[in-house]
Amino acid sequence: MKFPGRFLNTLRQLLGQKGPRLSFLFLGVVTLLAVFADLLPMDPLKQDIMRSLEGPSRDYWFGTDELGRDILSRVVYGARTSLITAAGAVTIAALIGVPIGLIGGFYGGWRDAVLMRMVDVLMALPAILFAMALIAVFGRSQGAALLAVGITGVPGFARIVRAQVLSLRKRDYVVAVEAFGGSSGYNMFRTILPNSWSPILVQIVVLSSVAILLEAALAFLGVGVPPPTPSWGEMLRTGKQYLHEAPYYAVLPGVVLTLAILSFDTIGRGLSRLIENPRDPGGGGAATEGALR
Amino acid sequence: MIGFVLRRVLQLVPVVLIASVGIFAMLYAVPGGPIGVIVGENATPETIAAAMREFGLDRPVAVQYLDWLRGLFRGDLGISIHSREPVFDLIMDRLPATFQLAFAATLVAMALGIPVAIASAMRPESWLDRVLSGWSALALGVPTFWLGILLILLFAVNLNWLPSASRYVPLWQDPLQALRHLILPALTLGVYVSAVLARFLRASLVSELGADYVRTARSKGLKEGQIMRQHVLRNALLPFITIVGLMMASFIGGAVITESVFTYPGLGRLLIQAINTRDYPLIQGCIVVILVIYIAINLTVDILYAYVDPRIAYS
Repeated sequence: MKFPGRFLNTLRQLLGQKGPRLSFLFLGVVTLLAVFADLLPMDPLKQDIMRSLEGPSRDYWFGTDELGRDILSRVVYGARTSLITAAGAVTIAALIGVPIGLIGGFYGGWRDAVLMRMVDVLMALPAILFAMALIAVFGRSQGAALLAVGITGVPGFARIVRAQVLSLRKRDYVVAVEAFGGSSGYNMFRTILPNSWSPILVQIVVLSSVAILLEAALAFLGVGVPPPTPSWGEMLRTGKQYLHEAPYYAVLPGVVLTLAILSFDTIGRGLSRLIENPRDPGGGGAATEGALR
Repeated sequence: MIGFVLRRVLQLVPVVLIASVGIFAMLYAVPGGPIGVIVGENATPETIAAAMREFGLDRPVAVQYLDWLRGLFRGDLGISIHSREPVFDLIMDRLPATFQLAFAATLVAMALGIPVAIASAMRPESWLDRVLSGWSALALGVPTFWLGILLILLFAVNLNWLPSASRYVPLWQDPLQALRHLILPALTLGVYVSAVLARFLRASLVSELGADYVRTARSKGLKEGQIMRQHVLRNALLPFITIVGLMMASFIGGAVITESVFTYPGLGRLLIQAINTRDYPLIQGCIVVILVIYIAINLTVDILYAYVDPRIAYS
């Protein structure tokens, strides 16, 4: 896929399908709310202790938490935490993973062996455990959560780009650039990379879904973004303690979290179907198969 | 065959070595270093010096690492800072609980996943197939911790049938109680994997059903059920071994979240407690043990796979 001409074309095709269209709509609304949350009459930290653990009402659409804070406001600001973590993590993963895959696949030999063993080590532990180990070292902060989630995403990019490079390495246009004296760097970044956009794009969407899940999971385990910053996972963690008094507390943030993950999954699947088989977007496709838990 | 096994084991050596250096280096990456971890932040220089000697921290780092590595091979994972007990014993206390959960979750995943895959593959693109694949997508997207909360809300809070916090009861001591405490966590952990399984098995079944030998079987007049049982399933189940193995392996890690939802006393909860109390020897120990189990299962799967499928060359 060429960038951005055919990218826009793919996007148009994707929006032609019902599932991805709804997913884009949902994520769009969540993103807008998260970006412009400060302009809305919402305060995720304001406590109304006399009205703690109240069910959904006209004043508090999603009810209130144990400190009388508005759960809807916290869900909206929690979206900010989730989206920032996802965007940051995907950026880190791509910035480290893509060059590893390019260099390993392009040069082969010892460089490939060393880089791929490092990737193997990253993959030797389940992502959640690796993230927890990093947080154990760096302490609990939004930066640590972001970094931890990002590093667990490196192998995905590295392996996908490496596979792509291996399949393009002997193509005529790559060999031609070499024959005309183009440097390896030029060949990697200007010839091979622009022709590898499709799988990278799918990986970005897939990893966004995994990153949101992982951030929420870390917060749920009590090692993610520290309070009082609102986070969906943290809300589920606290809400779980009030299942008898306030069942909506642990249910509503979970609905939003699940819809966000499903939306990314749906877009990812739609995208990989389009790329694998542009004529028949109905069949095949297994983008999120490797999603980690 | 022996050569194949040896080669696979040898390939693992660099991975394990790099990982072990990483896990060892954790202590040095912590602010304050290993000595800060042991004596705390407000220690006097005398205490620090005494602790350095006592724990051998005044020796070169490389020597300390080799010593630590030698300890690992003897099953010596050090002493927990928090409880002052050997890390190895603490982990061994929790391991049966995690294994029992992983085993139960595997059964749940297979009981849900296999029938779904067969039903879908028998009539591809039918309404049933669509419903079931929608279910798989849902099961893949719902976070396990939220699913666990929903199950607690329904079965423990509203219906009051099952406990909301699960204890570990060994299956052979009191099967009924063990089941009561296992059902919800096993379901939580199993549903996600059942969806992964159903997808793989469905794809594998659909491709087998299009094979020549199935056409021959049909032309002989065999019933669809017979073809499925006697021919197709046997072939489609081969890749299945890999999935079941990887599943077991991922359960060991994924159990961290499920154990936390149900306050189930397994290895995952031990690790979280260790992180919260900043008990680094215990954190290292848990990670080493999980890594070893994970790698061992993956290796077994590879070897088993090569053994079962004669088409895989050992070279």
